[in-house]
Amino acid sequence: MSYIELTEIDAGYTKGLPILKDFHLKVEQGELVSLLGPSGCGKTTTLRTIAGFIMAEKGKVVVGGKDYTRLPPNKRNVGLVFQNYALFPHLNVFDNVAYGLRRRKVPKSDIPKKVGEVLKLVSLSGYEKRLPAQLSGGQRQRVALARSIVIQPDLLLLDEPLSNLDAKLREEMRAELSRLQHQIGITMIYVTHDQIEALSLSSRIVVMNEGNIEQIGPPEDIYERPATPFVARFVGFDNHIKGTLSSRSEGKTVVVIQGRKLVSTRALSASVKALNPGDPVEVFFRPDDTVLDDSELANTLPAAINFTNYQGYTTGYSLNTGGTSIRAVVPGKPCKDTGRLFVSIAPDKLIVEKC
Amino acid sequence: MKKSKLLIIITAVMFFFLLGPFVIIIMSSFSGDAIMKFPPRGFSLQWYRKVLNIEMFRTTFWVSLKIGLAATLTALLLGVPIAYANVRYRYAGKSLVELIFSSPAIVPGLVIGFSLLRFFIYVTQIPIIIGLYLGHTAILFPYTVRVVSASLRNFDMGVEEAAVSLGSSPLHAFFAVVFPNIKSGIAAAFILAFITSFNNVPISLFLTGPGVATLPIQMLIYMEYYYDPTISALSSIIIVLTVLVVQGAERLLGISKYM
Amino acid sequence: MNTLYRKRALLLLLGPGGAFLLFFFLSPLVFVLAESFRDGAGGVTLMRYGEVLQNRQFRLVFVRTLKMALIVTPLAVLFGYPAAYLMTKLAPGKKSILMSLVILPLMTSPVARTFAWIVILGKFGIVNHTLQVLHLTQEPVRLMYTEGAIIVGLLQLFMPIMVLTLASALENVQEEVEEAALSLGSSRIGTFFRIILPLSFEGLIMGVTLVFTGCITAYVTPAILGGARVLTLATLMRQEALVLMNWEAATVIAVIMIGTTLILYNGLRLFKPGNMT
Repeated sequence: MSYIELTEIDAGYTKGLPILKDFHLKVEQGELVSLLGPSGCGKTTTLRTIAGFIMAEKGKVVVGGKDYTRLPPNKRNVGLVFQNYALFPHLNVFDNVAYGLRRRKVPKSDIPKKVGEVLKLVSLSGYEKRLPAQLSGGQRQRVALARSIVIQPDLLLLDEPLSNLDAKLREEMRAELSRLQHQIGITMIYVTHDQIEALSLSSRIVVMNEGNIEQIGPPEDIYERPATPFVARFVGFDNHIKGTLSSRSEGKTVVVIQGRKLVSTRALSASVKALNPGDPVEVFFRPDDTVLDDSELANTLPAAINFTNYQGYTTGYSLNTGGTSIRAVVPGKPCKDTGRLFVSIAPDKLIVEKC
Repeated sequence: MKKSKLLIIITAVMFFFLLGPFVIIIMSSFSGDAIMKFPPRGFSLQWYRKVLNIEMFRTTFWVSLKIGLAATLTALLLGVPIAYANVRYRYAGKSLVELIFSSPAIVPGLVIGFSLLRFFIYVTQIPIIIGLYLGHTAILFPYTVRVVSASLRNFDMGVEEAAVSLGSSPLHAFFAVVFPNIKSGIAAAFILAFITSFNNVPISLFLTGPGVATLPIQMLIYMEYYYDPTISALSSIIIVLTVLVVQGAERLLGISKYM
Repeated sequence: MNTLYRKRALLLLLGPGGAFLLFFFLSPLVFVLAESFRDGAGGVTLMRYGEVLQNRQFRLVFVRTLKMALIVTPLAVLFGYPAAYLMTKLAPGKKSILMSLVILPLMTSPVARTFAWIVILGKFGIVNHTLQVLHLTQEPVRLMYTEGAIIVGLLQLFMPIMVLTLASALENVQEEVEEAALSLGSSRIGTFFRIILPLSFEGLIMGVTLVFTGCITAYVTPAILGGARVLTLATLMRQEALVLMNWEAATVIAVIMIGTTLILYNGLRLFKPGNMT
């Protein structure tokens, strides 16, 4: 049995209209699992179902062998970190962190020691007397973290905890979270819509869409081998062109687009394996996996430039190939538009999906 | 900028019209004359002395104070949970509930007072002072619910959830986390509601009986019989007290944002 | 918050306040309503309304009350709009001073405020004194107990409500929008009618509703400045109920007052900027 098990969950905000339907998820102890997806995909609903703010209409929530399903949120031993920190504005840092300890009737004499330890862990020793309003955004989020880990929760739930911070702080806090997770080994479920955050932090990523799980796997799998068109687009395979399946052999798939043959050497999903030559397919590739040239290389499509967009180190191109518009991002200055241009994509960068 | 000048003139006239009467009433309260006359001749404090010596003003002041406090506290006690429910929960029939709790501000006060007298006091034979208290409480609901709702809306619901996830029961979370942060809203509601009750005439008009009247009603009764600056002096006292309370409340609570 | 305890929580939160209003506010009102349609034998009748509506005095008073509201409301808009507009353009410090000067009268006892008009309009009041000093009249002119006195009193009473409602509506009109209109060649007057008025229209309707219904139901001002000589709906109702002990008539007037208020409340809401053109 896994540490966290959600089984056959139906849950949502309005009775009879569940956002999650027959939802299953297993998380092992000590893992950091990210729930990744666009807004409305059900990731926050999942989090709130585990926290107990949404009661599942159906199914079972088990954490660490304890049945959480019917337990009210204050009886679950769960740490919760919010996007907007949700610190108690009228209490100072010490009292914020001590809140959960006091609720748990921890002996008065033990509280200062525990609070001190956890504040040291998040590098906020000496800030005990400050009010939340006197802290920066990053410091507030550290207090929120300290407040939820000091109670030694069964698991820590983080709801877009870094999205209110600026880019530089976000990176710092990401490193900090990673360090904390290794140091205390707590199981974490992390909700985000930011793929970079998910990729850099997680041991596994759950990509969600419309209440369903599209793919579960380690970050590399998700980024390199998206299992569905949705995941592919979500992790940056922004370009997609329709074509026809020409042939399929061991490790090599050929697709015909605009009369040209494009080769992919990537592993195929089960749904593509079931296709026959002549069936319509769609190819996916990333804008930065393209090479532009005025002579015809291998795996190439002719293209015309709509406009270019100089970005310093790289240049972005909006291209048109056979009526489909695609994007390319290539290092260097904008190339001269001679009217003759080809886009080529390496065979291992091309995903073939069912159309 | 000609238009701006016109704007300033109209605004100045408006403020003169709005505040001029206050100056005049205070001036007339120090009159040395025996009747209401302008310009007043001489300076005296006789009318202030007279106000303090009229027993009916003293007793009705206490009635107004007690009714105001009791009604305000009741309206808060019952109104805060309603505000909380309306801000925190989505439920069927919510707009109807909101309408019902704002309706005492829409239905004319005279009608409320009259109906309470005619169909409650008269039927149950409950003492008139209880009727006064009930009527005042009813009309204060819209104020307490509205002001407390406004301050609850400014308070992040996540903070309360954080408290619950750390082990507080919903009730404990309210008192430990929500209440301390909406205190000033509740205080603003208290002051607004109390002043509303203290100044009210239409409700009290019908809920007045032998020995039971509020201060504004007593003032109206006095004015029917006497034509001297006593009411000027009393009005001046009320104006000064109102200025102090409203200014204090504005400084401490920023009461104007709830109006 | 928690779906499991929602129903119970809602019941606990809304129940006590709801019960209070049900017993001490709604039921008496419903009784008043029912009573006004009941004949002596337990049947339903419009007879009482017929009696009241045919009464010449009632009709006079009803028309007079509406007429005064129809005079006071536009005047309040006329003075309130420029003042509210100017206030939103001021620096925060000045604005809050003017704001508190508007709020203060609103918070002050209407009895005290209305009494000032006796000092001003009375037989020996400021106006008469001035008229006599200027030799415009020999004898004091009767200003008290006239419709004019009530109109002035009501205007002063309700001006703050109009100004506050308009100010909070104008607060939401972004200055940039106005500047954009001006930069696109609109005149100031044109900008007002094409941009500011439509954007603050809901506030205007709210202000008009509050002032108009306020005028119709106001008691203190007509009681002090009009007395028994110039009755309005409110003072007439009080007279019927407490002086003449004619409770049936008072009940009917009460229902007519509620009806008028509700019709105005809902009727005025139908106005939207789009419906104007």
